[in-house]
Amino acid sequence: MIWVTWRQHRGQAIACLALLAALAVYAIIEGTSMRSAFSSDGLAGSCLARTQGTGCENGIGAFMGKFGSGVNIAFWSVALIVPGLIGVLVGGSLIARELEYGTWRLAWSQSVPRARWLAVKLALVTGGLIVLGAAMTAVIMWYRAPMDQLTGRLQHNAFDFEGLVLTAYILCAFGFAVLAGLLIRRSIPAMVAAFIPWLTIRLVIEFIFRDHFLAPLTTAMAASCYTQTGCGTGVGAVPQSTGRIGDLILGSKPGNLVSYQPPDRFWPFQFIEAGIFVALTAAALGATILLLRRRAAWSA
Amino acid sequence: MAEHDAGGNVPALRAERLGKRYGKVWGLRDCTLEVPVGAVAALVGPNGAGKTTLLEMIIGLLKPTEGQVSVFGETSRAGTAETLARVGYVAQDHPLYRDFTVADMFHLGHAMNPSWDRKLAVARMEALGIPLKRKVKSMSGGQQAQVSLTMALAKRAPLLVLDEPVSSLDPVARLEFMRDVMASAADSELTFLISSHVVSELERICDWLIILANGHVQLAGPADGLLAAHQLLTVPRDTPGAELPGTVIHRTDSDSPSYRHSTVLIRTDADQLDARSHPGWQVDPVSFEQLVLGYLQHQSTPLTHDDPAPAAQRPRPNTKEFTR
Repeated sequence: MIWVTWRQHRGQAIACLALLAALAVYAIIEGTSMRSAFSSDGLAGSCLARTQGTGCENGIGAFMGKFGSGVNIAFWSVALIVPGLIGVLVGGSLIARELEYGTWRLAWSQSVPRARWLAVKLALVTGGLIVLGAAMTAVIMWYRAPMDQLTGRLQHNAFDFEGLVLTAYILCAFGFAVLAGLLIRRSIPAMVAAFIPWLTIRLVIEFIFRDHFLAPLTTAMAASCYTQTGCGTGVGAVPQSTGRIGDLILGSKPGNLVSYQPPDRFWPFQFIEAGIFVALTAAALGATILLLRRRAAWSA
Repeated sequence: MAEHDAGGNVPALRAERLGKRYGKVWGLRDCTLEVPVGAVAALVGPNGAGKTTLLEMIIGLLKPTEGQVSVFGETSRAGTAETLARVGYVAQDHPLYRDFTVADMFHLGHAMNPSWDRKLAVARMEALGIPLKRKVKSMSGGQQAQVSLTMALAKRAPLLVLDEPVSSLDPVARLEFMRDVMASAADSELTFLISSHVVSELERICDWLIILANGHVQLAGPADGLLAAHQLLTVPRDTPGAELPGTVIHRTDSDSPSYRHSTVLIRTDADQLDARSHPGWQVDPVSFEQLVLGYLQHQSTPLTHDDPAPAAQRPRPNTKEFTR
């Protein structure tokens, strides 16, 4: 069964490796120049060790001007869609293709019961996707490391593809597509039917729930912001209105207060968000296993 | 769980009051039949008669709603490795993975079957002149059917089930495929169950006949015995049904101006017919095809068992919905 799974998915595996290689090439080229700029702009040394307002602003401004805007938006848009595409492309064909072409009669009439056939395939393909997700995450985290020191990792364009969530996004799209494939019995419609709810959940969590996974903290606005203009809340705003680099500013409150999420909540938030997507994956795959077993009463 | 006959003969296949319901519709009902070891059995019936439903329950792809199937005395349990391993299956349209090579298909057969016979598979491809490196999608329909049959044979299962194996093939490929099945049946102890809605291709190779229509078994038994038990009568058009000896299976009335007559397929034994011979009646032996057609046209009530519901009132089985 291991060989069978490999033989049926090797095309996808090669495509994923090619994608990973392209990502790595891009990350090495861009990451290298980002690193050299990071030191030449004078950010690597003692500058960041202190809080802002000690003369780092110009260096940060120059660095963000070079790498902050275009790259991040482009990267974020692609990163939003790509994990979902990988997941639905791999998952949408897993069962649906067998039903579409009638090969389920071949696959499930060999001496391996369909429940085991499905269990082995899901285990191996899920494992492959976890490896892919982890590798992509590692590449992106290396690439973004200098930027992350300035913006923190709770910003959308850092949080969404660092840590655990990228892998969880892929798995969730995969799980949805496998289930949709069993229900719809056609690959392409199953992929579409899985991608839409995946993207919806993904965006709703990102823009509505994530900022409130844990109750935001509140602090007094930095003294410098209190007296002068130029304290921003956006990515790379220098100086930040909390006065600390890396905080995720959520908004200002009456009385010169600022609500924010501190940078040390990156991992708790990663676990919460990845947990949600992994739970959705488990629910979809569990439903698939149960349905496929019950479908023995319905032939296919 | 072995179930032995009094004589110790375990049939290759036995179905007991087997039924399958899809929602509210019965795709197959009250199906009882036996196929002895070594037989080449034809399962004939129109499209939608429940043939595929019956076959899928036999091979363990489908769980019966009621009744049970046993293969060589072992009760089949859908979706278990033991049941699946006992039956080789060539599905309708002989599905194979299109981007696989023949060698890949055999590798799959080896990976998914404990008693896979690679030598047999390779030898058959050599004999047929199909290179192992050939991709499935570049092969003709006949070659694909041959690869499917080879995979079923190499599974080394004692019972082989072929679902409409030649319906998608051209006449030459049909002939070659059937010749091949016949050769495999002749030099082995294998039992074959072959479904088809085309009768002519089965006639030469089958020695056991099962006629299925409207989800019910209409007739089942050894082909010789069934042919001997039926006669084709040609009688004057106005002959009342009560005067006909035996059970009328199907009657065709002809209004030909020269001779208004009826052709009647009856089930009777020959001695009785001779004794009651009438002048002007013509008695002919029935051919395989005439027998099957007679029963398929009959269809109105099942003959082999009691069933209170006439077929006309039963909903049409719609297995196609689940096998598209």
